[in-house]
Amino acid sequence: MPDSKIPPKPFYRPEDTAGISYAEALNDPGVYPYTRGRRPRQGGAAWIQRELSGEGEPARTNAQFKYLIEKGAMGLDVIGDTPTMALLDPDHPAAAHAVGTQGVSLCSLDDYLVLYDDLALDDLTISNSLPPTFAIAGLYEAATTRGIDPARLRGSTVQAPFYCEDCGYATHMPFKLRLRLAADAIEFAAREMPKFHAFLEDTYYISEGGLDPVEEMALGFIEIRYLIRELLRRGLPIDGFAPRIAILVNCRMDFFAEIAKIRATRRLFARMLREEFGAQDPRSLAVVIASHTSGLSLTAQQPVNNVIRGAVQSLALVLAGVQAIEISGFDEAFRTPSPEAHLVGLRTQQIVQLETDLPKVADPLGGSYYVESLTNETEERVRAMVARIESMGDPAALCDDGWFRAVLQDATERYARDLQEGTRMQVGVNVLRVPPQEDTLLREVAEQKIAPCRERIEAVRAFKRSRDATRLRSALDDIRAACAGSDNLMPHIISAMRACATTGEISGVMRMAYGSSYDPFGMVEPPA
Amino acid sequence: MKPIRVWIGTLGLDQHEVGATAVARLLRDAGMEVVYAGRFNLPPGIVKAAAEEDVDVIGLSCHSWEYLEYIDELMQLLRQRDLNVPVVVGGSVITAGDDRLLREKGVAAVFGPTAPVEDIPAAIRRLVPAS
Repeated sequence: MPDSKIPPKPFYRPEDTAGISYAEALNDPGVYPYTRGRRPRQGGAAWIQRELSGEGEPARTNAQFKYLIEKGAMGLDVIGDTPTMALLDPDHPAAAHAVGTQGVSLCSLDDYLVLYDDLALDDLTISNSLPPTFAIAGLYEAATTRGIDPARLRGSTVQAPFYCEDCGYATHMPFKLRLRLAADAIEFAAREMPKFHAFLEDTYYISEGGLDPVEEMALGFIEIRYLIRELLRRGLPIDGFAPRIAILVNCRMDFFAEIAKIRATRRLFARMLREEFGAQDPRSLAVVIASHTSGLSLTAQQPVNNVIRGAVQSLALVLAGVQAIEISGFDEAFRTPSPEAHLVGLRTQQIVQLETDLPKVADPLGGSYYVESLTNETEERVRAMVARIESMGDPAALCDDGWFRAVLQDATERYARDLQEGTRMQVGVNVLRVPPQEDTLLREVAEQKIAPCRERIEAVRAFKRSRDATRLRSALDDIRAACAGSDNLMPHIISAMRACATTGEISGVMRMAYGSSYDPFGMVEPPA
Repeated sequence: MKPIRVWIGTLGLDQHEVGATAVARLLRDAGMEVVYAGRFNLPPGIVKAAAEEDVDVIGLSCHSWEYLEYIDELMQLLRQRDLNVPVVVGGSVITAGDDRLLREKGVAAVFGPTAPVEDIPAAIRRLVPAS
C-alpha cells in the first residue's frame, strides 16, 4: 500500500503552496472544485446539528427524538440495535439479550410508523445507520401513510456493501445481494425521494478501528466508485443519481489532518465525478459531507475529558465546513449515549455556532501554507491509494477474499500498538493517569445501563401470530421470485412489509435466493 | 514449555471487534497462542471450541451488555462438561459493580475499560499453572 502517513514539517513557507492555482485548485466556496466549501455560506447559516440516537422499542426512540428536537436538534440520526443491524428479528434466539440496548429495535412496517409518528417528516432531515433497504422502505411508507409527499423527504441512509460484514454491520448476505440491494435502493430513492441522500458513504465506522485519514478516504472512494459504476452499468445517467451521494466522515484529534481530509475529499470527489464519470450538474460535483466525531478518540478514564475532545473536534469540523455534525457522547466509551451526553453534544455545537465567530466566514483556513499543502498531499495520497487498490483487480473480489478485512485489522493492531508504546498519547490512558478513586466525575452517568427490552420480544411474537398467513406466504414467494429476476427489489420489499412480513423474514428469503442459509445462526426456520 | 493457548472472541450479536483484535495481538506479542473466534459466539459453541481446541483460557471481549446475560450459561456449561478452563472477561462496558458480580460468578479475571492493557498477559500467565 502507498504510504498514508504525512509527517509535518516544523513550519510551512510560500514554496509549499507554490504550484497551487487559485482558480484550478481552490476557487471560491460554492465553485468547482469545491475545495473551500460546497456552497457560499450565507449569513452564518448553520450546519445540521444532530446526535446519534435510538434505544428500546420504536415508541421510546420516538420520545427520544422529541427530546432532542426540543433541545434544538435540527435533524435526526437513528441507529438500530444489533439484531436490527444484523437483519434478525427481535424474537431470534440470539437476539434475546440485545433487543433495544444499543439502538432501536425495528422489524416491521408498523415499527417505522411508530418510530416516525407525529414528527414533521418534511421539515427535518432524517438520517440513519439502519439496514438501508428497510430504512428507506419504512421512511417512504411512513410519509405516504400520513399524506406527506416522499419527494419532500430529506436525510440520508448508509450504504455499505463493501465493509458492512467486517465493520460491525454484518448482514450475513453474499456480496452480490448486498450490491444489488444498495443499487436498487439508490435507484428507487433517486426517483421517488429525489431530495434524500440514499447513497451515504460511511467512512466513519470503517475507520473506527484505526485507519488513518488517507486510508479512510481511499476505502470510501473505492466503494463510491464501485457503486457509481454499477449504477452507470444499469443505464442510469450520472447526473440522475450523483447529487444523492453524500459522505459521512470520521473526525479524530488530528485537527489539521481532519480539516485537510475534508477539503481534499470535496476536491477529489468533484474532479473524479467530472473528469472520470462525466458529471455536469453542479449538485453532482459538490458533495455533501457530514461528520461524526470519533468514539475511538474518547476514553473511559476521566469521562469529562471527552467533552473537551468533542469541542476540539467540532471546531475542526466547523472550520472545514461540513453540512452536518454529530458529537459522540462523553459516555461513548461505556454505553449507548445517555440523555445527558446527547445534550452536551448538542450544546457544544450550539455554543460554537452562537457564541463564537467561527461560522461567520467560509473556509477561514483557505490559503494557509500548511493547510493547503496538507490538502494537496492528502488528495494525492488518497488518489494514489485508490489507484493502487483498483490495480490489484476487481474490488469485489478483494472484498470476498478478505483483503479489506486484513487492511482494517492491521490498522486496529497498529493503533493499539501506538497507544501501548506511547507513540500516540491519550490523556488518562497512557499519560497523566489518575487513580480510580479520583476518577469519579460523570462516572455515575457513564456507567448506567439499558436493559434488554424483553416485552418487545413477546410483542413481536404476538404480532407474528396475528398475521394473515396466506398473505404473508404469497408476499415472501413474491420476494423469492423477484430475487430470481432483475426487477428493482424495493417495490417488492415494500409490498411484503405491507403484508406484515418482517425484516428477518424478507432478509432470510433473499439470503436463500442467493444461495445462503435463511438464518446465519442456523436456529430459525423460514415461516411455513 | 508449550505456549499458553487462549480462545478470544465476542459474545452474541456484539459486533465490536476492535478490542478482541487488539487483545489477540497483545497476547501473540507476549508469546501466547490465540485461537481467534471473532464475532457471533454463543456459550455452547464457546465451550465446544474450548474443549476441542484444548485452550488454557477463554477470553471474552465485551462491548455490549449481553455478557451479563450469557455468563451464567457459559459457567454452567463449563461445569457440566467438567472443563476447568478459567474465563477472563474484558471490555468497555464493564463497570466496577460488574467486576464484583463476574468474580462472584466464577470469572477468573476482569478488565474494565480503565484497566491498563499491559496487565492482561501477566494476569493470564498467573491463571495457567506452568506446564
